[in-house]
Amino acid sequence: MDSGIKLVLPSDPRYLSVVRGAVERFAALLEFGEEDCRWITLAVHEALTNVMRHAYHDRHDQPIEIFLRERDGGFEVLMVDHGQGVRPEQLSGRALEDVKPGGLGTHMIREIMDEMDYAPLEGRNELRLWKKRADKKAGE
Amino acid sequence: MQIATRQSGVATIVDVKGDIDLYNSPEMRKVILEELRDKRTARLVINLTQVRYIDSSGVASLVEGLKTSKTLGSRFMLFGLSPAAREVLELSRLIRVFEVFDSEDLALKAQ
Repeated sequence: MDSGIKLVLPSDPRYLSVVRGAVERFAALLEFGEEDCRWITLAVHEALTNVMRHAYHDRHDQPIEIFLRERDGGFEVLMVDHGQGVRPEQLSGRALEDVKPGGLGTHMIREIMDEMDYAPLEGRNELRLWKKRADKKAGE
Repeated sequence: MQIATRQSGVATIVDVKGDIDLYNSPEMRKVILEELRDKRTARLVINLTQVRYIDSSGVASLVEGLKTSKTLGSRFMLFGLSPAAREVLELSRLIRVFEVFDSEDLALKAQ
């Protein structure tokens, strides 16, 4: 992988704030605007909580790898886990007309990011997210 | 996250401080449901003034509180949303289902 950073953490929710901090600062490093930095951070956070809850069923000692890098003028995140995979159609997000708790995270990710690809592979699951950086104004 | 409750007339105010995420939203959910189900609070007012971040698990806890309050015939209100918290509620299209106020005073005086 070319320039970027790799985070390795156990599936313990107490590390969520640490990852948020790293993602927000990495997005700022790639010159995303302040609002986009917040959105990207929320999307990655929601993807990470999905892994903790649904792939690892709230076990706190399972491995998660997160790769952050710049790609094609945007921010790419690759999240890898070794837990239970889901069918890709389960990641379509639910209709929001029915007011109820749960199922909001995937909707948020899809609203925020420009690309979301999920691949349940042999022994591992890969989630790839990408968001394009808004074009800079002339002279910037 | 820190969480505390206090009384103001018939209302109970829940003061939440810090980030609300999967790590600590169960604690907020527990306090909210205890106030509504066990203490039968007539008006539960959630103070989000010092919350700078909330994720979908935190939103889900608020939705559960709202639904529980409706079932029990009590009021469930929010005030002091930061721009980030408001953005998350708007993104989840749930801002319209809550009673949201700018200040504690307005929430307590609401008919």
